[in-house]
Amino acid sequence: MTDKHYHIEDNELLQRFYADKNNEWLGILLQRYTLLLLGVCMKYLKDQEEAKDAVQQVFLKAITELHKYKVDYFKSWLYMVAKNHCLMKLRDKGKHSVEINERIMATPDEAENKNSYLEKDIELTNLAAALQQLNKEQQECLTLFYLTKKSYNEIVAHTGYTLLQVKSHIQNGKRNLKIILLKQATVK
Amino acid sequence: MSDDLKDILSNNNKDIDNRQLMDYLNDQLSEANKHAIEKNMANDDFTNDAIEGLQEFDSTKHIASFVAQLDKDLQKKITKSKNRRNKRKWKDQPYTYIAIAIILLLLIISYIVIKNYTIIK
Repeated sequence: MTDKHYHIEDNELLQRFYADKNNEWLGILLQRYTLLLLGVCMKYLKDQEEAKDAVQQVFLKAITELHKYKVDYFKSWLYMVAKNHCLMKLRDKGKHSVEINERIMATPDEAENKNSYLEKDIELTNLAAALQQLNKEQQECLTLFYLTKKSYNEIVAHTGYTLLQVKSHIQNGKRNLKIILLKQATVK
Repeated sequence: MSDDLKDILSNNNKDIDNRQLMDYLNDQLSEANKHAIEKNMANDDFTNDAIEGLQEFDSTKHIASFVAQLDKDLQKKITKSKNRRNKRKWKDQPYTYIAIAIILLLLIISYIVIKNYTIIK
């Protein structure tokens, strides 16, 4: 898992590929994500061999697609390629129905806009007040996770919630916090 | 404290090193490092899905061997396509190579002619 090109950023590798269309740059780039891709495919397909095959197909697809059009946010694009590939496989098996749009995958995802809250320099008092508006569970999990820096397992032990509940309270809490702050911003 | 509060809304997640990720799966990290990985998971769906999937493998040894095999296959594919690309280069530029062959042929002929000429003299 060592990478002698470690010092080169993903974006730089991608630019080098676009400059000379040499697949070796893509090889280096994709290898960085083999482990993560294997995990994503396993999460959806629930079978080790199928997950491995899926990663191979995702590699092929990525190489082909990157020759066709330009991708700006490689990591999120690759994640969408892998996720949609797995969902498509599940759909073929009749396990899942999903609408897939490859072009949407190539556009930058919302991740880049998510930091706009911070860029606008949110007042911390608003954030602290918004935190108080969440339900008890979400408030507790967010505080333990972000403010006291407890790990998931420590939060499980501390609160008695299951691991799944802890993760869900953190995710939902974050989402609700953003909604509250957005509402506050539009009222102003 | 204020930075910690801001962290809740931040999506700035530094990429996790694969080795660190394997250590996390093997439960070999300190609580602080574990928390750093989990913070990354909470901020990044890719990492979150990946770790949840990797936790479903029978053992981390399987993961390592799958990754090694996948990387090897990828390298093979890349080398193959590189060879094909080189072959295509030859096909795409035949006149360059024909010109080089003609020049070499001319040089050989000139050499033979000059050599014969000097012997006759």
